[in-house]
Amino acid sequence: MILPYYIIIPLLTAFIISLIAGKKDIYAIWLSFIATTALLILSIYSLLTSKHETITYTMSGWKIPFGIVLVQDALTSFTLVTVNIIAFTAILFSINYIRYLSSDWKYYALFMLLLTGMNGVVVTGDLFNLYVLMEIALFAAFALVAYGSRAEEFEAAFKYAVMGSISSFMILLGIAVTYSATSYLTMAKVAEVLPLVDKKVVFWVGALFIAGFSLKAASIPFHSWLPDAHSSAPAPISAMLSGVLIKALGIYVLLRIFYNVLDAPEIFLKAFLVLGTISILIGVFLAIGQWDFKRLLAYHSISQIGYILLGIGIGTPLGILGAVFHLLNHAIFKGLLFLNSGAVEIALGTRDLRKMGNLSKILPVTSQTSLIASLSISGIPPFNGFFSKLIIIIAAIEANLPWYAFFGIIGSLLTLASFMKVQRYGFKAENVIEVASNKIDWRMNLAMILLAALCILTSMMVIPGIREVTLDPVVSVVANKTEYIKLVLGGLNEN
Amino acid sequence: MNELLFFILIPLVTGIINWFLPIILRKVLTFLSTTVGLYLVFSFYQTAPEPFILFNETIFTINSLGLFTALFIQILSFVILIYSLYGVPREIEKSFFYLYPLTVAFCQSVVLSDNSISFILFWGLSGLTLYLFATLGSTNDSPVAAKKTFIIIGGSDAFLLMGIILLYILSPTSSWSLSSISSNLDNNYSIIAFVFLLIAAFAKAGAFPLHTWVPDFAQNSPVESSAFLPASLDKLLGIFLLAKMLTQIFIVDLVVNLILISLGALTVITAVMMAMIQHNGYRLLGYHAVSQVGYMVMGVASGHPLAFAGGIFHMINHTIYKSNLFLSLGSVEKRTGTPDLNELGGLGKNMPLTFLMALIGALSISGIPPFNGFFSKWMIYQGLLNKTSTLSEGYQIWLLICIVIAIFGSALTLASFLKFLHATFLGKKTEKYKDTKEAPFNQWFATGILSLLCLVFGVFAVVLPLKKLIFPLTETTLLGKPEFIGLYEPVNLLLLFIIIFLVGMIIYATNARVRFDEVYVGGTPAFDKYRVSGTEFYNEVRNFPLLKAVYNFAERKYFDLYELFKNFTLWISEIFQKAHPGLLQLYLLYLLIGFMIIMLLL
Repeated sequence: MILPYYIIIPLLTAFIISLIAGKKDIYAIWLSFIATTALLILSIYSLLTSKHETITYTMSGWKIPFGIVLVQDALTSFTLVTVNIIAFTAILFSINYIRYLSSDWKYYALFMLLLTGMNGVVVTGDLFNLYVLMEIALFAAFALVAYGSRAEEFEAAFKYAVMGSISSFMILLGIAVTYSATSYLTMAKVAEVLPLVDKKVVFWVGALFIAGFSLKAASIPFHSWLPDAHSSAPAPISAMLSGVLIKALGIYVLLRIFYNVLDAPEIFLKAFLVLGTISILIGVFLAIGQWDFKRLLAYHSISQIGYILLGIGIGTPLGILGAVFHLLNHAIFKGLLFLNSGAVEIALGTRDLRKMGNLSKILPVTSQTSLIASLSISGIPPFNGFFSKLIIIIAAIEANLPWYAFFGIIGSLLTLASFMKVQRYGFKAENVIEVASNKIDWRMNLAMILLAALCILTSMMVIPGIREVTLDPVVSVVANKTEYIKLVLGGLNEN
Repeated sequence: MNELLFFILIPLVTGIINWFLPIILRKVLTFLSTTVGLYLVFSFYQTAPEPFILFNETIFTINSLGLFTALFIQILSFVILIYSLYGVPREIEKSFFYLYPLTVAFCQSVVLSDNSISFILFWGLSGLTLYLFATLGSTNDSPVAAKKTFIIIGGSDAFLLMGIILLYILSPTSSWSLSSISSNLDNNYSIIAFVFLLIAAFAKAGAFPLHTWVPDFAQNSPVESSAFLPASLDKLLGIFLLAKMLTQIFIVDLVVNLILISLGALTVITAVMMAMIQHNGYRLLGYHAVSQVGYMVMGVASGHPLAFAGGIFHMINHTIYKSNLFLSLGSVEKRTGTPDLNELGGLGKNMPLTFLMALIGALSISGIPPFNGFFSKWMIYQGLLNKTSTLSEGYQIWLLICIVIAIFGSALTLASFLKFLHATFLGKKTEKYKDTKEAPFNQWFATGILSLLCLVFGVFAVVLPLKKLIFPLTETTLLGKPEFIGLYEPVNLLLLFIIIFLVGMIIYATNARVRFDEVYVGGTPAFDKYRVSGTEFYNEVRNFPLLKAVYNFAERKYFDLYELFKNFTLWISEIFQKAHPGLLQLYLLYLLIGFMIIMLLL
């Protein structure tokens, strides 16, 4: 059984790093590099070999309702691959980057804890376990946001901590209500019992979860922690936060709970539609006026999360396909953009777009890859963002929601405009800067090139043959809603 | 392998391989692939190739409009490539020669696409290469121009996408084939789809009010790319889409026709007025590239077979003479280092061939017989006038006003090209450019081919392009067969011109008493600062009481849709930013309000 390894590997690495790496950072670097590589290989391997069956694992043999279940289906493997791709490239990028902040093993230990939390949330099949792992990830994230130890970073981390705790409290309340109504914490069991209890419980639970997890996913109006936190963190951490944390803790859980457990009631889907559209528009309007590169990117995360929520809210298989595809794509290009911003910050010592310039000469790799990422996020063919937005918009029109499609289009146009601004000021401006103050080493470049290549490669996933083995199983898991119960419980009974 | 796929793959693969080659091989390979493409497209006229089918969807197929456009894309690419073989600035040469074949491949794919998704995809890609060309510019403003270009072009792609998806939803057969869609403008969806597609076509072709990227692009990008994309390929694509919309996709009624014609007339007049006052040669040509689109829109959107044929004919004529003009001015700029009309002058003697080609281009664009520009404009006017006779009173006046505006625009075009020619090739030379040499062989050869085409398409208009290509194309549309109302004989006219010219030369030769002399001011040779460059020709127009205000507004970009939207967006952005001052209490309040709203709604 490989399921527990997703949690054990990073958790163990975090402990070993803090035990033995006190003297030498090189151990910490190697350990975390090996751990992320192993996780990446493991997740890709299980995506390819699982044949999209639902695999379950009961921790230490305790039967439900007493024990904790780990569940892996297509959605899980897909999200795990996404998380671990970004984790791998972020670690690769960190090796040199983090030396400019402070040479410290604590960074890697925290990074591993963050990864533990995210992987754990994705594989767990138990509500309370999910909460615990989510808190692990969040606390690691608070610490990492403050890692640069400047005043603004502490402020950002503090805000993040306060708002994060409030949402965690809402989620805990939701879990408590669920437990009191159904006497189960295992998601499959909860889903089985829930239709029998009072309908009002579903609404209570749903509202608490929407508010709680929307904050994790940073949808407007629960977004306000994100721009500060994501722009203050070190660049690879921003890539992790914006790229995958908001998805693993936010979108993934929303999909799992609202589709697989609550059976996607119409009214919640409407709520997602509205939240998504507001996020798209307000996020992009906020982004376009920014001059701080990372803050601009952070606001775009809100806007792009809006597209995913829109896809989820449409609720047709095509909409879910678009949402899931966009989830992966956004992780890749936003991760890449944050790495770009980190490289620029290292090279020029600034995040202000107006002070950059001439980067296509001095940082050719950064400049080319950022162009690819900018075009992807703006939805320009043949890059991946184009296809996922296309699918979402087709789905919206097919579901007879033309206005939402129209807002999606407007959002896409403004995204393009604001990334043209990034390109124009950041990379092609008149400011003549002759030499970079610090060099970008090959590992950083490699990380960026890997992600840029993925921006093009993942667009292959729309080709029918490839789509059938990658995206379609994920869609069927989500779209079949409470089919999940049978699959999980069936798997458990066999054990 | 499927011939159509092969036709598209050749330039595509060339572009990708070129990435890895040294520059000289890039040139050779690009040249070869363009030549093969030219051969293939001619062979398609003999035997129509099989459609290309993938995943049970027809991806590429050939219809008369697509093939016609493909033919001219290939011809123009070939000629402009000859020009670019020698003289592209060294530092951008490498990028230029991988973008070039890619652009050809994408544009060909657009016109041959039958599948909506591949149409959107390649349309977007052709916009992307346009942006990449724009980033190659070396002027200070080129990043700004590149940004603006791509926001307009890429943004209009988004509308195209939505428009096409709406059409797909509307069409009862529900297939992604473009040729199976047909829609009346009778419900909201189809009207929205029509407007969205129109936005894409207008942005690409550079018609009012989405034209503003064209002059900026022309001013700041490498001249080969200006001649290649906004002057030719983008015009072909934009008008291709418009023609496709009006003849194949939508069935439009008279009012829509008239609105489009009015937009065309507005394009003609506004752009030519702006062109008159420009000091930068490229920018001037850029505005003319916009102004001419107006005629094409008027012709294609008229719903009259003769004017439609005229619009299509004008489209190819424009690509020919406008790329000719761009390239001629490019030769001048490469020799002198500036496209600024204030600084140039008197280069006709140094660069006689370039002057000749530019002269032919200028005469064509101004609509002087026997060149091609005259013929197509004349067809458009004829068709439109004929259409007026079928309309009721009110519509008649509307259409007549449009025609008058267009004719007036044509006169202004001539005026502004007099200025252009004078400022560049005539008048007094400055010291600096005394020893300017003629453009290299490949450059004047390329412009020479284009000039020859201008003449041939003008003199043998009926025999060659119209009978062979354009009339059959028009007949396949619903509009019917175009009939000339009155025909003029360009051959006789040309003979007449030649006779008059010869007579003039004889008179000149027999009693020539011409004295060449320096210009004197107060007894001493005039200084450079007293030189009349020709850019001030129309300062009078610039200073007319009412026009002055309009021009001032225009120069402050109050009429630029892009600027308006930009300011509006930034204004909204500022409001939202004010709501995010970084106060934790406020953020918690948002959170609370959001939660309350959700609780209340559920």
